[in-house]
Amino acid sequence: MHSINLHLKILIAVLVSLGVLITGYQIYFLDIPVTEDETDDIWSLDAKVEFRATPGTPIKAQFYIPPLNQDYVSLNESFISNNYGVSVNSQNGNRRVTWSSRRASGTQTLYYRLVLTQRYSEEQLAAAPPPPRQPIPLEGPEQIAADALINPIRQHSADIETFISETIRRVNDITDDNVKLLLNGGTSAMDKARVIDLLLSNARIPLEMVHTIRLENTEAQSPELWLRSYNGERWLYFHPETGQQGMPDNRLVWWTGPEPLLAMEGGRQSSVSLTVTNSEMNALRLAKLTTENRASALLDYSLYGLPLQAQRVYQVMIMIPIGVLVILILRNLIGMQTLGTFTPVLIALAFRETEVGWGIALFTLITALGLSLRSYLEHLKLQMLPRLSVVLTFVVLVIAAISLFSHKLGMEKALAVSLFPMVILTMTIERLSITWEERGGIQSLKTALGTLIAATLAHLLMTIPELTYFVFTFPAVLLILVGFMLAMGRYRGYRLTELMRFKALTKG
Amino acid sequence: MFWKTWKALAANGVMGINRRNADYVLKYNKRHLYPVVDDKILTKERAMAAGIHVPEMYGVIETEKDFDTFDGIVANYRDFVIKPAQGAGGDGIIVIADRFEGMFKTVSGKIISRDEIGHHISSILSGLYSLGGHRDRVLIEYRVTPDQIFKSISYEGVPDIRIICLMGYPVMAMLRLPTRQSGGKANLHQGAIGVGVDLASGVTLKGTWLNKIISKHPDTTNPVDGVQLPDWNGFMNLAASCYELSGLGYIGVDLVLDQDQGPLILELNARPGLNIQIANDAGLTARCHKVEHHLAELKKAGKTETAEERVAFSQLHFGMPTSAEPSEPQPDPATA
Repeated sequence: MHSINLHLKILIAVLVSLGVLITGYQIYFLDIPVTEDETDDIWSLDAKVEFRATPGTPIKAQFYIPPLNQDYVSLNESFISNNYGVSVNSQNGNRRVTWSSRRASGTQTLYYRLVLTQRYSEEQLAAAPPPPRQPIPLEGPEQIAADALINPIRQHSADIETFISETIRRVNDITDDNVKLLLNGGTSAMDKARVIDLLLSNARIPLEMVHTIRLENTEAQSPELWLRSYNGERWLYFHPETGQQGMPDNRLVWWTGPEPLLAMEGGRQSSVSLTVTNSEMNALRLAKLTTENRASALLDYSLYGLPLQAQRVYQVMIMIPIGVLVILILRNLIGMQTLGTFTPVLIALAFRETEVGWGIALFTLITALGLSLRSYLEHLKLQMLPRLSVVLTFVVLVIAAISLFSHKLGMEKALAVSLFPMVILTMTIERLSITWEERGGIQSLKTALGTLIAATLAHLLMTIPELTYFVFTFPAVLLILVGFMLAMGRYRGYRLTELMRFKALTKG
Repeated sequence: MFWKTWKALAANGVMGINRRNADYVLKYNKRHLYPVVDDKILTKERAMAAGIHVPEMYGVIETEKDFDTFDGIVANYRDFVIKPAQGAGGDGIIVIADRFEGMFKTVSGKIISRDEIGHHISSILSGLYSLGGHRDRVLIEYRVTPDQIFKSISYEGVPDIRIICLMGYPVMAMLRLPTRQSGGKANLHQGAIGVGVDLASGVTLKGTWLNKIISKHPDTTNPVDGVQLPDWNGFMNLAASCYELSGLGYIGVDLVLDQDQGPLILELNARPGLNIQIANDAGLTARCHKVEHHLAELKKAGKTETAEERVAFSQLHFGMPTSAEPSEPQPDPATA
């Protein structure tokens, strides 16, 4: 036993000192800031193009990339593709990269990354005004429908700006028969943009389609379509569906024109995923370090070296040990009762999607409904597996119903509930109801409350941005955490609740 | 305030869950031996092989299909007990006291049909009551008739005696009495009373009910202390011999006193609860340290003790006269 204790102590000492040393090295020698800096926003745009190559044919993938003449300045741009020729050309204010290869087979993946920061000093470069345009020729019923729409629009508008607004409003009224005819069954933003373009061309108003991306931390964005027109002085931007005028500041023009983002030859099942990640100051530092100072091998192996999509996942994952630590402390030091060991951590992860308030409300609601169903099923004397399946299906239905209702009521928050882990909820319901039957309602409420408190605490701790940044940048602190957990493994003191439990034994 | 309570508990050698797990359960109980105690059928087979008295096993049901054999198993008995082999905390146990018009009558007087028993058995088989939720077996066995001595201090059910043994040395004992609230079950968390038992004499001490110290049974209002348990040395020797039987160093042995067959072993528990300390108004850590000290001395001398010798040691050190003395404060490494 003594040798085990010594072993454990040495292990803890090694882990803790390793953690402290690595973190210290990162902070003092590599000069990595301990907190996130608020000064500079840096945006990383990652595009991932995937497709299956058709064997035996040359491959040519033409992919639009953002023009660099906007409010943002490029810090770094890279094309990552094995065995592909890369050429970039500009046309009509757009930039387009062409990846080409003589032959390839299997699934191909091409990456494009652009790192941007806001342009402060330089004068904004305005896009050149468009040439005057000719009406798009129409025939028969379409011409009549277009005329029927244009005439009232002309009456209700005063200038180009109001004309466009009015057109967008009318085209979005899909109950109108004329609009229906012109839309020809389509209802996407692209279809509407096409009809708007058609109508405006008949009024000889110039119009361009502008595909933009939101500069927000998001995984898997799809480009948002805007329309712009020139009124002789400046560009006017419109949203083709809402009619909103003026593009928000956080939009970046990716390309203009009616063509799709990716044009593919020699490949099929192509897909594009766009990820936008925001980082601050540090990214700049890191970018400098990784480009100028190749010697810092340790940084190359930091989590910042991962692709952005993976980074976002790891930012969540790396906080899980923190949540587990909360449960460990609540259970072994305080003596709080929770359902299962790590169920609270899983619930805490689910809270990420819904926010705490909503999460607790939904969790309570669904669990309460599930419990009442479960107690009804108890009378039917079902076996465990069928009973669990019924409860799970019920949970799915309840979640669907909640999402539908809240959507109708305009509360988009509750839509996130669909990601609430249903299996966890089902098991929670099952366990709670067993506890209820065997230990009584008070005990099961106690456990449920303990679980919720633990989940909430874990969630709150896991989502502190400073802490996330710190752990993500200095993952070695997890070694210190492991040291603490190991020490907890041999903690023999009383739990806080035991002090109450054994109160009767304190005398004498 | 917390610190004061902490100090007082430590001074009385009271054991907490963390200490029980770290210093006793994990240290003395080898993981691979757990199946012997977690599965009541295995425990029973081991005990019978060693010639230790257990309630007779009528039959085992392993699959839903085996339920057909149920009638054959219980054909010759009016009363019997249905148990999950790997159940914990007394959950999932049905005690059939009699038959009634082709139906069965539980000990609380509830009439249940054969179908309901079938459903219950299939719940057990599907793992509803087993520790890990995995498939389980059903054990059908002799229904213990409690000795008349318990009539005045127990409400329905079968009172049982829990003796905690460290390396085969009984360190603390408790009589568990069912109450109306516990529904005839002898489990403390379900509302049964735990009554401390003097290891030397087998005379009951004060009791604990829902973490409080009490001296009367809440249903019968008879005093629970001062009752002499019959054949106490029989209990102690049975409990002490469970170390050889199971190989586990720190166990709670659950015994019953049957009217006809005397002391019987019901089951073993590798993680015995800590409320026994409240019932005995004594700390487990203090007693366990004494045993560990004694074991270290024996080891130095190169000796081992038989079950009888171990019982004698326990009765000498943990009997009333010693526990009445102001307990000498044990140096406590965790708080020192």
